[in-house]
Amino acid sequence: MDTKKLIAEAKARFNHNSTKAYLKDKYDSKFIVAVQNGLWRANLETINFLNASTDTEIILIDTFNNPVKVVRQELLDKLNTVYAITMEEWYNEWSELEKKR
Amino acid sequence: MSKGALLFAFNSPKYNYYEMAVATAKRINHFLDLPVTIVTDEKSLPDTIAYTFDKTIFTVADPSNKRDWGVWINKGRFQAYDLSPYDETLLLDTDYMVNSDKLLKTFELPTDFCCHDTTSFLMHPGVPQEVLSVYSFKTLWATAVNFKKTKRAESIFDSLQMIQNNFNHYADIHGFISATFRNDYALTLATRIVNGHTTLPQDVIPWNLVHVGKNTTIYRNSDDPLNTEYTVMFDNWIRGKIRKEYTIIKNMDFHVMNKENFMELIK
Repeated sequence: MDTKKLIAEAKARFNHNSTKAYLKDKYDSKFIVAVQNGLWRANLETINFLNASTDTEIILIDTFNNPVKVVRQELLDKLNTVYAITMEEWYNEWSELEKKR
Repeated sequence: MSKGALLFAFNSPKYNYYEMAVATAKRINHFLDLPVTIVTDEKSLPDTIAYTFDKTIFTVADPSNKRDWGVWINKGRFQAYDLSPYDETLLLDTDYMVNSDKLLKTFELPTDFCCHDTTSFLMHPGVPQEVLSVYSFKTLWATAVNFKKTKRAESIFDSLQMIQNNFNHYADIHGFISATFRNDYALTLATRIVNGHTTLPQDVIPWNLVHVGKNTTIYRNSDDPLNTEYTVMFDNWIRGKIRKEYTIIKNMDFHVMNKENFMELIK
């Protein structure tokens, strides 16, 4: 299937809102990390909270609403890495798709 | 601990589910690196076997379920627990298009049973979540289920059987139409029964199940059988006219509701 020809012949318009929603769906799952007996989301709130603390161990509520004791720096490093990699991929794909009309 | 995927595939007069299962199994092998077992009946087997499943398990198809387009053999999913040869099983619908290793994360979740409770539709952002009825619960989805061989998971599948056998009764209680048996509805009720009439957060896969729904067609962007890039075309009805809209997706799993479209994708 020549999809470029299909788009041209159908005079189809690129839908930016649906594309944004698709990208969010796709990358949301990539922020999920299962480590240290808990399930975490590599989001700014969790990363900043971990960053602000100086404790070696800390108790956090994971995404299943369970309190879990974690080694703070270890979790912070993991979430930082996942966040950076996922945001980079998300940004690159968005930049590529944003040019379409 | 052995891990693998399990597919149920019974050909109906209209659709070749065995062929769909073969295509999905190849993708599971490639993207998830998991062995795949098929549960089917002898009638569904093709004349020549071009793909060898890890195991082929024969059972009796139950053709008593009907949809608007004909016979829909979706009953018997409760047998997954007993039939799965794996300690940890990914139970998938045959029309689930695997394009990434995302489902491997379901094996890492600290739970013995999980499935989706939230969906999104490609090209249809913001579609409300399905409920059993206006008086009942948000639907869980049997499209992708991960379970381990534990007593609780066994109880969920036992309850699934009980609900299938008494579907009219549960439809009366929860106010949904019982004419067509839905594994999604049965699973929703089964997990609630086993969990003390509630849904546990651990039972939910923490990302959305992506559907390709009505007025939406997916096209492959290449002829590679393991292609992962697609053009999604959508007929947007505006003031009585169709406006064609599209987007391009890649490396993303999705569930195709339109079986003809799925068959086109695996050709």
